Amino acid sequence: MTFDSSVVSYGLPLLLGGLVNTVLFSLSAIAIALMLAPVVAVGRLSTRPSLRWMATCYVEAIRNTPFLVQAFLFFYGLAALGIRVDAGVAGIVTLSIFGTATFSESFRGAIRSVPLGQLESARAVGMSYRLALQRIVFPQMWGYLIPSLANQATGIIKECSVLSVITVPEVAMAAQFVIGETFAPAETYAMAAVLYWALTSTVTGLMSLANLWLTKRRRQNLAASLGSPLELDYTEA
Amino acid sequence: MPEAILPLLRGAIATLEIATCGTCLAVVLGVLAAVVGQAGAPLRALVAAYVSFIRGTPLLVQLLVIYYLLPRIGLDVTPFWAGVVALGVNGGAHIREMIRGALTAIPPGQTEAARALAMPRFWIWARIVLPQVFVLIMPPLTVEFSALLKGSALISIVGYVELTRQAQYQLATSSHPYAVLVATAAIYGVMCLAVGEVTRQLRRTSSRRGVAI
Repeated sequence: MTFDSSVVSYGLPLLLGGLVNTVLFSLSAIAIALMLAPVVAVGRLSTRPSLRWMATCYVEAIRNTPFLVQAFLFFYGLAALGIRVDAGVAGIVTLSIFGTATFSESFRGAIRSVPLGQLESARAVGMSYRLALQRIVFPQMWGYLIPSLANQATGIIKECSVLSVITVPEVAMAAQFVIGETFAPAETYAMAAVLYWALTSTVTGLMSLANLWLTKRRRQNLAASLGSPLELDYTEA
Repeated sequence: MPEAILPLLRGAIATLEIATCGTCLAVVLGVLAAVVGQAGAPLRALVAAYVSFIRGTPLLVQLLVIYYLLPRIGLDVTPFWAGVVALGVNGGAHIREMIRGALTAIPPGQTEAARALAMPRFWIWARIVLPQVFVLIMPPLTVEFSALLKGSALISIVGYVELTRQAQYQLATSSHPYAVLVATAAIYGVMCLAVGEVTRQLRRTSSRRGVAI
């Protein structure tokens, strides 16, 4: 087996171009999912059966079907119904719907990681459900949420590659183009794999940094609010 | 629409076949990686790199690399076997992580006692450690099976006729293409929910026995 280095010099710029699109598509899907997922999670934990049922159906439907089939459903399916959508738009929509479902599971776990007594006490002192979630539950769930979200975010980046099947111009699609010119599929896809690896490793690295920073800040806040001996100045006493 | 159902169900059986073969290979690779990962530092680094690479790249790209790489190293494989290898290599990394977690739940005194009795290392793994590990990882293993079941849809891209590929064929000829897609999604949903039910039952029995991780 030999390795043709000209494939790298020709293919790498094109693949990097695809990687920029992968980042853009994933970031927009992640942003949309971050906005919608808490709503779905609260819906799943709602005491109202209709809300809970709807949210559960949505999340389970997405989690129990392959992403490829979802992409077909939204792209070819909508086209079959006579609704013409651009591949890029269909891609972002599919990725966001998928991302919202997976993120909502992270949020649900994070909300449940905060003891129920906290919410009940907040309600008992007269806070509305919404305010209790905002002020009491949400601020306490980050330690659980960040690692879980990081995991799901890399999942979104990885699923983005599947969108090449519905002709969204990201890395895997760029790879097909490079292969058309170089006839070196193994090298090209290996290169694409390394690029994905670099991207997802960067994301996990950044997320664990964010988590470290959050933990440190939380510990400082806690120390300050408890008036920890370490933080107090005893000289005046 | 009714005439599309039978081919779709045949496709679902092919999907189950390839997912089962892939999971079996994944278990073998996962155990190998876990055992090798417990050995010296260079081997452990190698296994860590394998797991990190697999978890950091999409299954689609892994599948395509394997599909085009295997013939280059002299293995002329069918799409089915390329798919099985891709699912196996992918799942193996996840199963190695499960086993690594389960190993911490087994008291070190057991292996120490076995070693004190001069039991060969192979038999310590085969008769003391791994049987307990498998009881522990059974629930997450079924989760991995359903992940590979969904992942196997990608094998349609390299031309193996399973559920998704069959759906594409039916799509082209059916008068109700949207219904075909919805039926396909529903078949995947039923299979994954059934596996999910098995997971729940396993979790229940293992938590009753107090061995949940």
